[in-house]
Amino acid sequence: MAPQQDETAVLRARDFWASLALIALSLFFLWKTSAIPLFGENRAGVSGADWYTSAALVPLGIFGGLFVLACILLSIAIRSGGAAHALSAVGIGWDRAEAQRFGTIAVMLFFYIAGLVPRVDFIIASGLLITAMIFGYHGGHARRALLSAAVVALAGAYALIAHGPQAEWNAHSDDWLTLFCWIGLTVPVLRASRQERVLRIVPLLAFFAPFILVCAMAFGFRQNVPARGGLFFKQIEYHYYVTLRPLWKD
Amino acid sequence: MDFVFSQLAGFGHAFWALAIDPVTYLYLVSSVFLGITFGALPGLTATLAVTILTGFFGNKIPLDYALIALLGAYVGAIYGGSYPSILLNIPGTAASAATAMDGHPLAKAGRGGEALGLTTTASFIGTIIGTFALLIFVWVLLGISKNIASPEKALLALFGILLSGTLMSEDLVIKGWIAGLIGLAMAMVGLDPLLSEPRYTFGWSYLLSGFQVVPVLMGAFAVPQIIEGLRHVEVGQMAELKGRILPNLKAIRRYLPTITRSGVIGTGVGALPGVGEDVAGWVSYGVGKTVSKEGDKFGKGSTEGLLSSETANNACIGGALIPLLVLGIPGSPPAAALMGAFKINNVIPGPTIDPAIILRVVAILVLASFTMFIMGLFTARIFIKILKIPQTIFLPIVMVLTAIGSFSVGGGINDLYLMLGVGFVAYMMNLMKYPIAPLVIGVILGSLFDETFRRSLFLSDGDLSVFVSRPGAAILVALNVALIISQVPLAKRAFARMKGKTA
Repeated sequence: MAPQQDETAVLRARDFWASLALIALSLFFLWKTSAIPLFGENRAGVSGADWYTSAALVPLGIFGGLFVLACILLSIAIRSGGAAHALSAVGIGWDRAEAQRFGTIAVMLFFYIAGLVPRVDFIIASGLLITAMIFGYHGGHARRALLSAAVVALAGAYALIAHGPQAEWNAHSDDWLTLFCWIGLTVPVLRASRQERVLRIVPLLAFFAPFILVCAMAFGFRQNVPARGGLFFKQIEYHYYVTLRPLWKD
Repeated sequence: MDFVFSQLAGFGHAFWALAIDPVTYLYLVSSVFLGITFGALPGLTATLAVTILTGFFGNKIPLDYALIALLGAYVGAIYGGSYPSILLNIPGTAASAATAMDGHPLAKAGRGGEALGLTTTASFIGTIIGTFALLIFVWVLLGISKNIASPEKALLALFGILLSGTLMSEDLVIKGWIAGLIGLAMAMVGLDPLLSEPRYTFGWSYLLSGFQVVPVLMGAFAVPQIIEGLRHVEVGQMAELKGRILPNLKAIRRYLPTITRSGVIGTGVGALPGVGEDVAGWVSYGVGKTVSKEGDKFGKGSTEGLLSSETANNACIGGALIPLLVLGIPGSPPAAALMGAFKINNVIPGPTIDPAIILRVVAILVLASFTMFIMGLFTARIFIKILKIPQTIFLPIVMVLTAIGSFSVGGGINDLYLMLGVGFVAYMMNLMKYPIAPLVIGVILGSLFDETFRRSLFLSDGDLSVFVSRPGAAILVALNVALIISQVPLAKRAFARMKGKTA
């Protein structure tokens, strides 16, 4: 198979699955839409809307259209051999290295957003993420990516499990664990920097980038920032208002 | 003629007000610099630059300054894409893909400095052409748009989504339409605009207000870019930069008709809803190759080819802002991000927009293009150094920027979850060659479409003829139908046969 044909075959196999997913999704939402009154109704003796002002009208059109287009895509995929290739690894373009790369990035992003950002000091959480991402993907070392993802997952999972409810987001044990993870990951980064000089700037970037961002957001734009009670930010905020601000306010 | 002079006077007033404010230059210089940096780094795009700055500055500083930051980044990024196109043969942004065709051969021939000088000048002239087209046409169209009622608005929104889906699809057109419909579907979440009926909230109170536009923008444009960029892309073999970066006035004079034509094409393409700079660059390049006496030189280091694409992609900026400001329909993906900035500042682009905002937008574009021109000529070597920064160093910081920007706009953690969810979906869609721009445009225009479509029916008591009885609406129905039919294989084949007969 020529590369172009090969790519098209992979696309059609993926289209086959995507169209099935879209059909299922559109049918589900058409069913959900059926719960919205369409032909008017009486609520507590008050006449509801007519069909043409119903909140269900446009969604019906959208999901109906999506269903039709998904069916057309399915027929295109089947006619192009997408269904025949659908279950083969080659057919859907499965590449182990690629899957691992995406998997590790997804793990890092998930635990960063869902676990660390709401609960852990923003500088520490982002410092860990920056260190992990640069160490994991600079130079394309698969094992490094796995190690980085595991470290971020460990910190994120602990934050999620130990301090799940919002009432516990100000606790500091997850801040300390994330800080240790960050320092721990910085050690192999510095070791690797003997061969790869560019890695020398990672600790500086990992600290100063989130530090500047969070300070600009909180004190420059006076916006809310995540985890205000975090280990570092709490101190920064205190000294900004108590030590620094009076210098130019008074 | 009086009208043109009165517009120029209004523009002059707005320009002067901005030009004497020192804070203007603080935002202008830093945002144009950031924009060129984003454009110059392969994998970072103009849309990403505008999106991230929307999250960072969107509603935190006065609207004027926010617009300076966003438009400066927009202008800078579209121009900045020419650096890797010329020196690495890797387009920094999709808008600069056509620039690489002739830019890189010129650089390999030892004329890199000249090529960069030409693209800097062409980008500057292109932006100015697009900006003045915006200044003149926006008022003409605003006059017309005052007569646009709900049926036309609904059909225009639909046309924008369909057209964007049609023109942005890399693979099958149907995928562009599916992406647009997914965007429309996302816009249906929350309380409906007419009856306040909750739709698809699944009992989650956060969803009652619908999907917030900034997290959706961040998720759709930034997250897939970050995931994609961490693929360990080695910076390629850079062509050596020889010669000084100066505008080649002789070439500019010689190819003035080409530059003018490309500027007009770029502006025209930009004015089409949701299409964007990359299409403008290629269309202009294609037209240039067809009409040029030296068409055979295109792709081999042609100065004319370089000017064709680079003038058009920057002229597209002004063009893309015309439908945005007149109708509230973004003309390109970065303009969609800009629409997000308007939304979070409670500015509703469209017939009711404050004319002073339009004049300020024009003034900012002129200032931004001058800043870009000066930076391009005097600080180009800095950007060439930036080109050597690996994406793996830059992208994690962009991720952190995205997270804090997304959080601060809504001030809640739910926005981050939404951003991440949309990001993963958008990445999967990218993998399957679904264009993302129609999805975003669908999200942005969804509530407008929903509201105006149902209001039309409400006013006509459910009579569907309201969509064909008004001349404007009838034309738009015909356009929508023609657009759909033009993509049906049977119609395509018939059209091809007809073309064959006439040839």
